[in-house]
Amino acid sequence: MTGISKLIRVGVLLSLLVAASSVAAQTYLDLENQVQEFTLDNGVKFIVLEKHDVPVFSFRTMVNIGSANEVRGITGLSHILEHMAFKGTPEIGTKDYEAEKKAMAAEDVAFLALKAERIKGEHADPEKLAALQTAFDEAKDAAREFVVTNEFGRIIEENGGKGLNASTSSDVTRYHYKFPSNRLELWAYLEGSRMSHPVFREFYTEKDGPVTEERRGGVDNNPIGRLLEIFQNQMFMASGYHHSTIGYLSDIENVSRQNCQDYFDKNYVGSNMVVSIVGDVEFAEVQRLARKYFSGIKRGHPEPVETFEPKQLVEKRLVMRDPAQPVFIAGYHIEDQSHPDWPVYEVIADVLGQGRTSRLYKSLVKEQKVAVQAATFPGYPGSKYPTGMLIFAMPAKDKTGYDLEEATYAEIDRIVADGITADELQAVKQRARANFIRGLRTNGGMAEQLATYQTYSGDWSEMFRVVESIEAVTLDDVQRVAGEIFVPSNRTVAIIETDEDAS
Amino acid sequence: MKKFVWNRMRGVILLIAVAVVSGAMAGCGASGGKPWLQMQYPELNEIRMPSYERVELDNGMIVYLVEDHEFPLIELSATIDVGSIYEDADKVGLGEMTGTVMRSGGTSTHGGDELDELVEARGMQLETWVGQTDGGAYLSAMKEDTQMGLDLLADILRNPVFPEDKIKLAKEQAKAEIARRNDDAMSIARREGMKAIFGADHPMARHTEYSTLARIARQDLVDFHADWFHPDRMYLVVIGDFDSERMVGMIDKAFAGWAPATRALPADPEIPDFPRTVNVVDKDDLTQTTVLMGHKGIRADDPNYAAIRVANRILGGGFATRLFNEVRSRQGLAYSVGSSAGTGYRYPGMFMAFTMTKSESSEKAVAAILAEIERMTVEPVTEAELATAQDGILNSDVFSYDSTREIMDRLVMFERYGYAPDFLDRYQAEVKAMTVDQVLAAAQAVWHPEQLTILGVGNYEDWDGDFSRFGPVTMVDIEIPEPALDIPEATEESLIAGKKLMQGAYEAVGGARMAALQGHFTRRVMSAEIQGMAMQFTIEETVQYPNRQYSLQKTQWGNGSQVLDGDKGWSKSGMGEKDLTAEEVTAAQNGLKTSYIGTFRNLDEFTFQALEPRIVEGVECYPVYASGVGDDYMILFLRADNLRLRMTQAPGMSPMTGAPVTMKVINDEYQDVDGMVISSKSRMLYDDELFAEIETTDFEANPAVDETMFTK
Repeated sequence: MTGISKLIRVGVLLSLLVAASSVAAQTYLDLENQVQEFTLDNGVKFIVLEKHDVPVFSFRTMVNIGSANEVRGITGLSHILEHMAFKGTPEIGTKDYEAEKKAMAAEDVAFLALKAERIKGEHADPEKLAALQTAFDEAKDAAREFVVTNEFGRIIEENGGKGLNASTSSDVTRYHYKFPSNRLELWAYLEGSRMSHPVFREFYTEKDGPVTEERRGGVDNNPIGRLLEIFQNQMFMASGYHHSTIGYLSDIENVSRQNCQDYFDKNYVGSNMVVSIVGDVEFAEVQRLARKYFSGIKRGHPEPVETFEPKQLVEKRLVMRDPAQPVFIAGYHIEDQSHPDWPVYEVIADVLGQGRTSRLYKSLVKEQKVAVQAATFPGYPGSKYPTGMLIFAMPAKDKTGYDLEEATYAEIDRIVADGITADELQAVKQRARANFIRGLRTNGGMAEQLATYQTYSGDWSEMFRVVESIEAVTLDDVQRVAGEIFVPSNRTVAIIETDEDAS
Repeated sequence: MKKFVWNRMRGVILLIAVAVVSGAMAGCGASGGKPWLQMQYPELNEIRMPSYERVELDNGMIVYLVEDHEFPLIELSATIDVGSIYEDADKVGLGEMTGTVMRSGGTSTHGGDELDELVEARGMQLETWVGQTDGGAYLSAMKEDTQMGLDLLADILRNPVFPEDKIKLAKEQAKAEIARRNDDAMSIARREGMKAIFGADHPMARHTEYSTLARIARQDLVDFHADWFHPDRMYLVVIGDFDSERMVGMIDKAFAGWAPATRALPADPEIPDFPRTVNVVDKDDLTQTTVLMGHKGIRADDPNYAAIRVANRILGGGFATRLFNEVRSRQGLAYSVGSSAGTGYRYPGMFMAFTMTKSESSEKAVAAILAEIERMTVEPVTEAELATAQDGILNSDVFSYDSTREIMDRLVMFERYGYAPDFLDRYQAEVKAMTVDQVLAAAQAVWHPEQLTILGVGNYEDWDGDFSRFGPVTMVDIEIPEPALDIPEATEESLIAGKKLMQGAYEAVGGARMAALQGHFTRRVMSAEIQGMAMQFTIEETVQYPNRQYSLQKTQWGNGSQVLDGDKGWSKSGMGEKDLTAEEVTAAQNGLKTSYIGTFRNLDEFTFQALEPRIVEGVECYPVYASGVGDDYMILFLRADNLRLRMTQAPGMSPMTGAPVTMKVINDEYQDVDGMVISSKSRMLYDDELFAEIETTDFEANPAVDETMFTK
């Protein structure tokens, strides 16, 4: 329930971001003027939009931390931490916190002893290993005795919370649900407590159970998930986008509760946190409750990411032989979303591969009938750092990824050589306007955008500038940027070649 | 126009009892460390039902309108009484395809591609679809495009033209979906689970196959649309920045003259109530098992409705439920686990539980889920659990009113299926008054764990325990039946191309030498497995062209032979000797002409039609449809790389049952004998099941013939 299918849904998410990023600013100044904000002393930023038509509100807590912040050994930890944020606090989810704390400490000791032996691999002593495993299982059971299972979630649900969930991406971690508006204080208490002093109870059961099953379901047992992970590994060799958000299995196995606590202490700090609330709330009341319940969050000094992807010099290709049906993926390196060319990427992605009138759909699906689906996403796997423009296509029956590859490059080459037409550019701008307005209609959608723009660009009001930025794109921009990014040496290609006998 | 403004609810303030104080933990001892139990909640602000109008047009269409001027947008969504449950069983996929091509194919005034351009240039969204039990259409547009959008919506609903090229495109998409349907374990579980629970042929479970797609012709789409798309079967919800009075006028105009339906809707298919079966889909590339279990549930007008929803809220319909707590959080067996109550507004719903767990805990997870369901039916839930569930349902009820679209869709649904508009209020009242005994009684009445049909998808040999403890295990074959070949009407080009291909094959395999043969001797060894028993037999065949053939079959139980000698023939076996009938003689004569060598000797007697290229077990082939000799046809698949014969496909008869089957002979290895390429190893398939492997051990051209073979 918590978490998200990182690899695949990131694409969808980004397309939502793209869809959202467009405004007829002059018309919506009014809405923009209704947005209010404040910052707590510890740096937590609150953005509030009052809408009183229905007595409910939606919120997003967005933490400026994702798997791109992880280093080797702790891959997948941002996501594990997201799961752990549902396990309660010293007050919520325990029968006796003082006793539980001791039991968890014993559990940690047993885990580290087990890990130390297990990590020897073939050289591990089987008898010792079995004994350590038993000791660890017993310690785990002992700690579990103090747990009130899922009390945190239960409180939310019995008070009418809906859509309780969270997700982690390469860039950020987000938490959300919607609540009846008379429960604002309860919300503030619950959210403030878990963001200030969560307790990572059931840590080992959670990561070895649900988190590992999530990896199995989304990656290991899903051919496209599997391909996307390897694709990402290949396309990004150095940057934090190298590994998937779900992380490597061995890291999930070996990471300890202390690792998680350290990661939390370093990153879940005020300056990394944005909370947006949209709905039937009073700004002054939000302010009062925020001070009361969110002040326990530390101010902190998060470390910026230091490793960036070097320029790619050679084309990379990988072929996965698998019983599954074929797919074709190509990724081109592009800059991050604060780069002035970002709106141009969005225009290119739209014209190339979004909708029934896009170049790829018209050519590959309608005319040549080699594909049944062809789509483009700017910003895979994230957009906070220099990233990728992804092309994803599924061949028609009995066609191969190679059939599509050629046809795709032909369309790309046309854009590089001739650019796009004025009509196409005009249509992109019109779609951007319409999609932007559609994105304003729900409390959840508004909260998501306010938090996203605040987190990514440091200013929520940027969300109201995005249509302008698309409006400013010219035909020359498109051709210039297409020429820069669509070169073979900037490309990573991944293909599934169907082979019934492969395993 | 009959205009009936139905705004009984206009301005009425709905006060909903949402201010229920969370009482779940009340009385659970000291709450000093539990500050949330001391919190007092203010009264919830009023919930206002959006003002709406309900209008019935002269043609019978029901229109609901809600003005919302916050953003300059309009949204029209139509629900239509149509569905794939109404399509013919041998044309599964027709409904969905009709829904798709109505939009993609466009109308007489706007072709499909033109429609795409118009819609996307304005940033509109315009779609039509046909689902299982309803269909619909959707338009979202900027205010300034209202008229244009409405006209387009009405046009595709009323005047779709269903052009062949867009039908072909839709079929290509549907085929690709079939080809990919086994790539994802969850979709296998859903599909096969429905078949296991409802029966494979049930309208709620059956699905598209290549063969059902092949039977769908353009006229079928035209007829399906004409049969089911009528204004009096349509409910249109309009929300957005417009003036209702004007909007009704525009809608009335756009749909004026559209004829109502002339016959009533058919009765809904019955939902069966089968005993448990246990089914396994074995897929050896998986490390995780997906399990789905289910049986028939109840309709929302059943007296147990409210109680079973409360019961499911405790069992598995949420975050802090028994299944979630036990299977996921405590045992750590799964990422996803849960259940659905099994209620439906139109049909009895499906009580269902599901999980995904690692192979090694498949049985454990199923047992744990069944135990939790069982527990619900034998002992009452605790008062605290009941209170949590009640609070959850009542407190979240405010969200039933937070989206205008959802409110209106719900009203349409109530009207379609005959529920009172205050259905939700009554439900809440029942929930509020619920007792643990009622919950137990409902669980006992509606849930029958011993009847839950179980379907698991995973790598069966890695599963823990013995799945048959839940019942006798049926292995489910999910191999996709190969598409029937599409044999279009022959054209001059396809006939010329067919002939040219066969001429090419003639050159490639030494056809001239075959034509010059006077006769030959062949010995083949066939290995088959019949009803679990491995069998081997040898067939020795001596042919003298044009019309003599002696064939001797040696088996471990004795020999049999058949002779053709001009226009007479006979057969011998342990049971005696008998003459061939006239039909059998003709069949044997044709058999000689349509054999591999016979075909190349008699090219001029056939009509050859080239078909679309296709892949046969990984080898690209040019299929040629051969007819004209005898009543039957055969399809020769020539390898694209060297024009050798990869496969022959023809109608045949099962040697075991005598039933008609599709017979395929696939050649895997070839040998060159005196400049003639003949197969040395091949496989024979009946309806895509391997029947025998064949090895050609001897081939001799123009052998000396022992005349006693042709003597009775």
